[in-house]
Amino acid sequence: MTNLLQLLIDALLMGGLYALMSVGLSLGFGVVRIINFAHGEFVMLGAYGAYWALTLLHVDPLLALPFLIVLGYLGGWLLFRGVVAWVLKAPALNQILLTFGIALVLQHIAVVLWTGDVRSAMPEYALSTTIIGDVFVVHGRLIAFLVAGTLIAALTTWLRYSETGRAVRAVAQNHDAAILMGINPGRIYALAFAMSTALGIASGAIVSFLINITPFMGFSILLKAVAIVILGGLGSIAGTVISAFILAIAETMVAYYVPEGAGWTEGVAFAVIVGILLVRPRGIIGSALAT
Amino acid sequence: MTPLLSLSNIRAGYGASLVLHDLSIEVGEGEVVCLLGANGAGKTTTTCVIAGLVRPWSGEIRFAGESIAEVPGHRRVSLGIALSPEGRQVFPEMTVHENLLLGSYAPHARRDRTRAMDQVLALFPRLEERLRQKAGLMSGGEQQMLAIGRAIMSRPRLLMLDEPSLGLAPRIVMDVYAAVAETARAGISILLVEQNTEAALAVADRGYVLANGTIAASGSAAELRGSALVRSAFLGIQAESAP
Repeated sequence: MTNLLQLLIDALLMGGLYALMSVGLSLGFGVVRIINFAHGEFVMLGAYGAYWALTLLHVDPLLALPFLIVLGYLGGWLLFRGVVAWVLKAPALNQILLTFGIALVLQHIAVVLWTGDVRSAMPEYALSTTIIGDVFVVHGRLIAFLVAGTLIAALTTWLRYSETGRAVRAVAQNHDAAILMGINPGRIYALAFAMSTALGIASGAIVSFLINITPFMGFSILLKAVAIVILGGLGSIAGTVISAFILAIAETMVAYYVPEGAGWTEGVAFAVIVGILLVRPRGIIGSALAT
Repeated sequence: MTPLLSLSNIRAGYGASLVLHDLSIEVGEGEVVCLLGANGAGKTTTTCVIAGLVRPWSGEIRFAGESIAEVPGHRRVSLGIALSPEGRQVFPEMTVHENLLLGSYAPHARRDRTRAMDQVLALFPRLEERLRQKAGLMSGGEQQMLAIGRAIMSRPRLLMLDEPSLGLAPRIVMDVYAAVAETARAGISILLVEQNTEAALAVADRGYVLANGTIAASGSAAELRGSALVRSAFLGIQAESAP
């Protein structure tokens, strides 16, 4: 019983981080309609950002977070205006190739800047634990969960209640009707892409609490995030969050209950996703930015 | 006096196919003008050209004396052009209230939002009962009212309505048209695009008949009502061969 509680707590904390990693991808897809294969690299860059903050500037990653988010937003905005905007009307294959190319460029920039060595940006407190009853809570995971929860809550509140957030949803739901409201879709695309990038960077900064950093960490993160977004129903923020938790629970359970399970987690997690999609082909919530 | 809206010699289409050739129409200040025509005549393309969703290949569009051919669609809302589009195009995942708020997204309309909201809800009391409902779950008639209400929220000088009676029960058509007439009385110019000739000519001051992408006839509502050409444009029979 205790074990189960421990597993659920672990899964819950992990799910928050998965949700943050995926929610940016989901926002970008829901609005711009491009699956951004460079999203994993944004996470990677965020992690290196936290690493630099800690090692070069001796700034706590949590303090660096707002700054990294702003940088991510500006970088995403430039990337969109400079590169991505040009393929909006191109065939999907071209869009995939472009974002895949961006991913490769970013990976290799990371190799140049930080070499291929494994780095770590874990502050001391991230490794300490609190014991509540019989349950261990690793502080790094708890902090990551809280940061993820705060950012996702801020995003959904903004989407739901602000004037611009409403415009973002309008563009996602009906591009032409949005123009008739006086909304400039080009501006909303750039905004959504920039926010998506900022969210990727933010999740990278807090991932650095939990795992080691390499220039190539982005791909496996992307794979998970894409799976989560598809499972949640493309473009649905609420669906993305729910499926992030489903994936986290499935992984945690498999790692614990299946013999040699740690090696199987990803495979079995994807089997769960395939299974759910067989029953619900449009994902858990299959609609454009319903939030 | 210069008309509020004038299109001259517009050619427009999609891809390689030409839909409008040499289209010229005018809408005066405070006028209700209807644009009649069969399916595929180019009525919806005309509204899209005026709203800026379709860029014409050539020709002149003037609004309130200014050429607006180069003004992107989203900026035309601030000039006072609003379109309730064919098929309603409400935001399905948003509530009625959110849809109406989006109608007043443009800065000039946002300042006047509360008053506009009161007016729209007075015009369509049914929307007030449905404010918290998702737009996509409403009936066709309610969605039509929402699309018109949303367009009025933008404080337009020219309101375009594309097939507001399409697929609606006769009772609802009457409600919708009563609201159109009331909007016209408030001084807003209206360009009414319809296949429902009867309903349109009952509220319009004058009208145009569009056939094969150009104006086939025009005149006062009374003239058009009795015109054989109007009947032929709709029924596809030649005026001469009619008994």
